[in-house]
This record gives sequence, structure tokens and C-alpha cells, in this order.
Amino acid sequence: MNQRNQTFLIVFLLCSIFSFSQQKYTLSGTISEASSNETLIGVTIAVPELKAGVVTNEYGFYSITLPEGDYRIQVSYLGFKDVIQSIALNQSLKLNIQMVEAAEQLEEVVVTENVERMDIRKPQMSVNTMSIETIKKIPVILGEADVIKSILLLPGVTNAGEGASGFNVRGGAVDQNLILLDEAIIFNSSHLFGFFSVFNPDAIKDIKLYKGGIPARYGGRVSSVLDIFQKEGNSKELKINGGIGVVASRLLVEGPIVKDKAAFLVGGRGSYAHLFLPLFDQDNTAYFYDLNTKLNYNINDKNSIYLSGYFGRDVFGISDSFVNTYGNSVGNFRWNHLFSDKLFSNLSLIYSDYYYGLKLDFVGFNWNSGIQNFNVKYDLKHYINDKLQINYGLNNIYYSFNPGEIEPSNSESGIIKERLTKKYANEFAAYIDVEHDITEKLSLGYGLRFSNFIRLGQDELNVYENDNPVVFDPFLLIYQEADPIALSEPGRSGSLATYSNFEPRASLAYTINDNSSIKASYTRLAQYLHLLSNTSSPTPLDVWTPSGPFVKPQLLDQYALGFFKNFKEGRYTLETEVFYKDIQNRIDYIDGANLIANDAIETVILNGEARAYGLEFLLRKNEGKFQGWLAYTLSKSEQRTPGRISNVDNGRSNLETGINFGEWYNTPYDKTHDISFYGSYDLNDKWSLNTNFVYQTGQPTNYPIGQFEFQGLAVPYYGLRNQERLPDYHRIDLAATLTPRKNKTKKVKGEWVFSVYNIYNRRNAASINFRRDQDTGINEAVRTSIFGIVPAVTYNFKF
Amino acid sequence: MKYWYFLVIGLTAFVTSCEDVINVNLPTGKPRLIVDALIRVDTTQEYIPVLVKVTQTSNFFEEIPVTSLESILITYETTEDQIVIHTGFSSLTDLDAGSGIYTPNPNFSTEQRIRTSILEHNDVLFTMIIEHEGRKYISQTRYIRSAPLTRIEQGNETLFSKDETEVIVAFEDNPNSENFYVFDFDFSEFLVTEDTFYNGQKFEFSYFYDNELESGRDLTISVLGADRTFYNYMNQLIEQSEGPQGPFQTPTATVRGNVFDITDLDNQEVFDNVEQADVFPLGYFAIVQEFKSTITIQ
Repeated sequence: MNQRNQTFLIVFLLCSIFSFSQQKYTLSGTISEASSNETLIGVTIAVPELKAGVVTNEYGFYSITLPEGDYRIQVSYLGFKDVIQSIALNQSLKLNIQMVEAAEQLEEVVVTENVERMDIRKPQMSVNTMSIETIKKIPVILGEADVIKSILLLPGVTNAGEGASGFNVRGGAVDQNLILLDEAIIFNSSHLFGFFSVFNPDAIKDIKLYKGGIPARYGGRVSSVLDIFQKEGNSKELKINGGIGVVASRLLVEGPIVKDKAAFLVGGRGSYAHLFLPLFDQDNTAYFYDLNTKLNYNINDKNSIYLSGYFGRDVFGISDSFVNTYGNSVGNFRWNHLFSDKLFSNLSLIYSDYYYGLKLDFVGFNWNSGIQNFNVKYDLKHYINDKLQINYGLNNIYYSFNPGEIEPSNSESGIIKERLTKKYANEFAAYIDVEHDITEKLSLGYGLRFSNFIRLGQDELNVYENDNPVVFDPFLLIYQEADPIALSEPGRSGSLATYSNFEPRASLAYTINDNSSIKASYTRLAQYLHLLSNTSSPTPLDVWTPSGPFVKPQLLDQYALGFFKNFKEGRYTLETEVFYKDIQNRIDYIDGANLIANDAIETVILNGEARAYGLEFLLRKNEGKFQGWLAYTLSKSEQRTPGRISNVDNGRSNLETGINFGEWYNTPYDKTHDISFYGSYDLNDKWSLNTNFVYQTGQPTNYPIGQFEFQGLAVPYYGLRNQERLPDYHRIDLAATLTPRKNKTKKVKGEWVFSVYNIYNRRNAASINFRRDQDTGINEAVRTSIFGIVPAVTYNFKF
Repeated sequence: MKYWYFLVIGLTAFVTSCEDVINVNLPTGKPRLIVDALIRVDTTQEYIPVLVKVTQTSNFFEEIPVTSLESILITYETTEDQIVIHTGFSSLTDLDAGSGIYTPNPNFSTEQRIRTSILEHNDVLFTMIIEHEGRKYISQTRYIRSAPLTRIEQGNETLFSKDETEVIVAFEDNPNSENFYVFDFDFSEFLVTEDTFYNGQKFEFSYFYDNELESGRDLTISVLGADRTFYNYMNQLIEQSEGPQGPFQTPTATVRGNVFDITDLDNQEVFDNVEQADVFPLGYFAIVQEFKSTITIQ
């Protein structure tokens, strides 16, 4: 279907909705937690009489329009007591509901068929939500609860191994994930090169990971969206909680400014990793810290404002001669406004940046690079009736890229102060997204996003012969940087390149019966930014670069099909999905490319393609003393960069060999089999046990097929890329949480978390190095494993 | 210089305690010819010290066998305004037969050594032609100048561990051009650098040897001229000889040099090697200026 037809279809479907009339009233309001006024996301408001329902949005708001009548509405949220309320809907009604946490173990949440049917019926697929309670229970390395490490246990999510930063979704690259913290883009999700993630678990309310079927309100990254919501702060009473762990400690204070109206939240976290690394016995440092702040003010029934901020840094230094500092900062203002009980709006003004700084005194320079963006978003949610919800909005992001600045670090240094040409870009998007129940059995989600990317003018731009920045030697079969033939000065006004894309999204759910459904989705996404990273997993030093005259935007098409089933009254859920995705213009790098401090990055980049496909299976047990899930993924992730048809020479046109002879090769995060199990068992009111089991096919790597020597340097010699694999990866982690019984009477409630990571001490290989031993002169294969068995203890408290 | 490389060392310091040697069965690709023809020129000497070493690839855990050539010849020509001014050639032989080491043939009726004075001309083009096991290989290179070392000194700082030995190196970059350099730090340790950020400056930096070097040992450090291709080549060799760096590993690929197989190129039907991407030798042919300095470790 071409784009015009798609647009047309949407308009047609919309028209068909508005055409009927009946006496209807709107029930709307906000759902929050009774003890703190913290709004709750994803609460189901069901109207069993009509088999209708709605779910609260990111701000806890809901709205549903129903025919006049008496209803018993049922409000349910996992972990909370159901609220059942009778209403007489003879006029539009505002109903704010406060929910109370279900006392643990005492009573199981009563979940009725109708409530569970909601998820089954919703066309949204390929999405996983995880509450912060679950994240905090999952055993992790060194006991530091971790958002990213937790989502790795979900089907279709992996990373490039221990100590690797970021995560890979359905065979996509790390830079293809859109990570949003209160709607602000986070560019680097890892602390200490990937050992920890940048999100303080205490400050987080909820996370949602979209792996496919991504709604039209999201765009800009082709693989996934990780939407993280920070808490708003307790507007009832002052609360303090925190934790003391072996690597890091955290403290979070929240409380009212104006009771029930305005609240603040300040959370801090810091590590003392350098203390437990006895390796560093000099004046060395390796630590991170982050700070989360939030203010909210509920002005009146129709208006709320939120201010949130995040600031995180990693500092890694070796004496004074090597200091490495990096991190994200985010500032965010949001205004929720209700135009009517059916029309919810949110305006966001967001600033975010990523900074990287390096001081290498023994080479004599300081280096810094980064990316800044200013983001304006206006999103509306229009709850038209119980069958139809339309979301639409606008988004504009202005980017400024600093690929690097270098300056001498001391007066002796021969380094000349220099700044690589700064780059600028603007990304605009408009979207409309419809959630539409066609019949009782069929629901549709369909939408369209229009995105426009302008690579704005910059001070200097290289000009290449035949516009070709990468030259190919047809004899040596080597790609090499072309020398610019001129330097143009386009200036800051004007643009260097413009790209526009229509990104249709469509999803469908067909309900087979009350407990099972089939869903299908199609997603097209465009990504205009690229992380220049040539390593298995990104390093903090990697810089982002915009699409432009030489680098094209990545375009994704993803198809997914799934079967969903609830059984045993929703105590178990089963989700199975198959997906296929194809990404055009995935950038690849010529052999030996230097990506850092390269002012002519286009000279080392070739445009290739990527594809991934697989099968995901997720069985969850949602209730009871024992809860958890089993996930299995069978998948393949590959990329290739075929040769271009090079310039015509003497009337002949030459085909190039491409990268890896133009053949498909496994991406470093291709894991054929990936099994994750997470289980949580409440033994009694004192002890609860949690465990993970992970088994993965070893990640692709290269084994030398021979060796050669040049000037005494022993060099392994490799064949095609990523054909071999490291040994399979597996481990079991255990954690036990002790909540002392006397807690109940004490003001300060504490808990101990004892954890053991990799309990059978498997030496999982992070890499196998093939090298010559310097002392013996003998070649050897050296396995590097990052974590063996790691016990840890953490103390958490709140009062 | 690969800046992030230092980071890798940093992280490796975290994890080195978890290293162990394991047994891995490795495949063996078909043997390829390796040509080590890096010729380092001291312009104060009368002749260019031409020496070419030929070996063949082997399984990673085995010895690298030397091989013998049917013939090896280096020709050179100097041109001015596209007119050839001077040509010559040097025929090489393995004096110690079977050693795989080829030097200008002293038994030839004429002098086969190439005079350094030829390098005073600009853009001398050297061509090396090799015949080996029925295949014919060719490589071309131009002489590349280097920059003199102005200081070599042992320092007493360390970086990541206390065992390191610091050497402070300074040299003066050639102004008005883009320069690449390859440093040879002895022990088969190399470093590549380009002058983007210190063009025309006196540039000083510290190099750290992993181990504490024996006192009294002589250490020879030299700086070689390089062009972009040779810089890229050495950069990849250094990286690959270190082995993959875990999450920071860059994609490995066969490091192709500047020697190529011309056996099947007839320039009528076949003009390039694109259709036979798997037919290639390894190694590099370069004639570069070298400045050398020796210090004795305290």
C-alpha cells in the first residue's frame, strides 16, 4: 500500500466513527496511590456490563465515554487492591480514585476475566512492562538493582556480554534504542562502561519497553523504545528511603510542598567502586554518581506542571595523567492540561545532553565531545468514545553535535587547540495514532508519523572528487579515506541535506475467545542519528553523528505476528511472537576506521543493511507466592555492506568487494538461543527468594585461521567476519530478601538483600584473545571472563 | 593515534585478574605468502638497506615457515614533469639459501644495491616484482620521510600498574603537510600517530612499557615515516596483534597490505582483483626514512 492510500484509509476509518450519535457521558479522572498521591500508569478501568475499559496514561489520567446508565466499574492494578465502585452515569463524571497496595501475601489480587481481556484485546503487541518492584527483586551483580540488566531477562533483549553497555532489542544495535526518561532522550544508558545503568531505581515508577508495533507517537530510533517514568514525589508526607550496597549507596527524599497539591523528589546515588578495586593502590578514582529531581504542582483539576531533572557523571581517573568524565544531563518542564474530560494534552520542553571529557596528560591533551538537544513536544490524547482513542501531536528537536575539541593539557604540550567542525540538525515530526475497537473481536491500532530531518549548515564541509569520500583500490581491495579536494564553507544558514519520511504503523488484535487473541503489526521507523561505534558494544567515547550529505537515515520495516493467551484465570499468561525486520542504510565502517577525533567521518563510513528475525516465547506467572517468567528467544541478527558500483573508469564500471566481501555476517549481539528464567518465591513474611537463570548461545567472534609476522609483530590472520562463537554463556543468580518481623512496629523499615551472582562460578568468556606471550614467545589463546561468583549484600531502608 | 585505545587498557586493568589460557582448536586457512619488505633508510648511509623477508601463513599455534621465491626484483624510477629521468633495478637473492631473507645480489655483474642519493629526487617510485610458486606478485611504493627525534629519556611515572616503564619521546613534526609516523619501541611494540593536532609542533609524549625493563638494557626507539595507507596498515596490525578486547573489540578482518597478485590480470578481460577477492598475499612494501635513538635503562 502506498503512503497516500494509507493516509486515506486512516481518514476514512476516522470518518466512519464520528457518524453515529447516542446519549453519552464521559467518565474521567486520575488514579493514584493512596499513601503518596503518586499517579499510577497502566491501571485498568473496566466496565464489565459493556465489556469496555480503558487504561490510565503516563500521567495517571483516564477517560471513557459510555452510554447513559448505571455501572459497576472495576479498577485494578497488579499489586493493588481492586476498587469496585457503582456509578450512575447520567452526566459526565469526574472520578479520581486512590488505590491501596494489596498487603503482601495476605490476599491475592482478584482478577476477573474482563480485566484480563483488556490486554488480550488491545492491538499493542511486542511490549513489556516492568514495575520497579520487580526490577528491585531481580538478582543483579553486586546487588545494585538495575533497569537495563532487568530487561535483559525479557525475550528478544540481549547485550554484547558482561560489562557491555546498552542493550540490543530483536537483533538491533545499541544506538537503535530510544531511551526516554520522563520523555527526555538519554544518549548513554551505562555507568562504568556498562557495569551499571544510569537509572536510580528508587526514583523510577515504571518502565515500558516497546520491541515492535511501536506507536506513531514515538520515532527517531529503529529498534525499540524504552520509556522510563520517574516518580512524581509524595504529596502526602515526607518519606525517605535508600540503600547501602557494596558498590553504591542511594538516598531519596520526597514529600509535599503543598499538601496534596505539590511535591518534590530528590534522589542521589553514588558509587565507591574504587574502594573495592584493590588494583588501584595509587591516587586513582573510578566512581559514578547521579542525581534525580522532580517537582510537581497540581494547579487545579485541569492543569498540572512537572519539572524534572537528571544529572549523572562517571569519573574514571588514573593519577592525574588520565582522567575520563562523562554522563548525561536532562532538564524537563511539562504541562498537563485538560481541554475537556475527553481531551488530554501535554506540553514538554526538554533539554538533554551527553558530555564526554578525557584528559590524557601523558600525551598532553584534553578532549571533550558531546551532543545537546532541545526538544519541544506537544501531545494530545483524545478519548472519543469507548471504542476510539486518537493520539496526535508534534515534536521538534534541535540538535547540536560537538564531535570533539582538543586543547593542550599543559604548557609543554605540542598539541594545538582545535575544534572539529560542529554539526547541527533539526528533526520535526507530526503524528496521528488511533486505537480503535472495530467489533467486539477486532481492534485496530493505526497511525502515521511524518518525520523531517534537516542537516543544518555548518562552518566547514569537505568536498570530494565525484562526491565520493571513500575510495576503493581495485587491486589491493582496500577501502581508504579519500583526500578532500576542497573545503567549502556552507555557513550556519541553509541546509546540507533534507530527508522526509512517512512512517506508517499498524497493528491488529483479533480476539479468539475471552482468553486468547492473535495480533499482528507493521512498523516503519526512520532514524536520523547514528552512534559512531565500531566496537562490539559502545564505549562512552563514541560520538553521535547526524545523517547528512554522505550518511543516509536508517529505515526500518518490522513485521510481527503473535499469539497471546491467558489461562487459569489469568494467573498465567503466554505470549509468543515471530518477527522479521529489515533495516536499510545501517552504517558500517571500513577496516581499521578511526572514528574518534575524525573530522571527516564520512571517509570511513559505508551504507549497508541489517536484518533480524526470530521467535519469542514468554510464559509468566503473575500471581501467588511464586511468580516469575520463562523467556525463550530463537533469533538471527545479521548485517552486510555490499560493494558499491564504483566510478566509471575508461568506460568500465567496477563493482567493489564491499565489507566482508559483501556477504552477510552475524552482528556481535546475534544469539541464536536465549533462555532466561526469573522466579520469585515468598517463603514467609520474613524471607523472599529470587533467582535468575540465563543461557545464551555464545556471542559471535573471530578465531584466527592462521598467523603471520611483520617486523616481529605476530598477527593473527582472520577469515570472514564473526563466523565463530564464544562458548555458550550461562549462569544462575540467587537473592534472598530478609524483612525483619519487628519492622511492622518500627518507624524505620529496613530490609536486607543477600545476593550471589553466577552461583556456580562459571567462567563465561567475555572474549578470547589470540596473542603472543611476551615472555615465552609462544602463541596462546587467552580467555577473559569478567565476573565469577560475586556475593553481595545490600541494606534498604525507608521511613 | 587511537585515543580510545587507552581506555581499553584502562578497562583491561579491571579485568586482567580473570584471564586464563585455554585450549582452542583453530582452523587453518590455505597458506599465503607473507612479504615483509619494510625498508628503513638512514640517509647518512651510502646504500638503502634493502632486505625482504618472505614466509608463509601457518596455524596460529605453529611456527611460521619461511619460504623461497623464484625471483624478486625491485625497480625504481624518478620522473620530472612526467619524463623519466632515472631508472634502475636491484635483483635480490637469498644469500643463505632457504632462509627466506632476500638482499641485493652481491654476485651480480653490476652493483645491485640502491644508493641513498636516489632519494634526493622527489617521488621516486619503487616497484617490487615477486614470483612465488607459480604466482606473480607486485607492489609499488614511494619513499616517505620521517622527522628526527629530539629527545628520548626514561621517566619514572607509571600509568596503570607500578611495573610499567615510562619513556618520554619528543620529535619535531614536519610543518606544512599532513604527516603520519610509525614508532618502533623495540620488543615488537609499535605505535602509530598522525599530526592532525600537532602539525608543525615539537610534540612530546610518554610511552609506557607494560613491564619493568631490566636495568642496563639498551632500548632502541625509532620513528619511521608513513603515508596514510601504511599508517592504516600498521594501525590494524597493532590492534590485531593485541587480540580482541572484549566488548571493545573492533571487527576483525584480514589486514591486507600493498602487495597484490597479478597472475590472472591480463588487462584485456580482467583488470582488477574484485572478482578474485580471495587471491592475495599478506605483507607490506615500504621504503621509509628512520630516525633512531638508543638509551640504556637505568
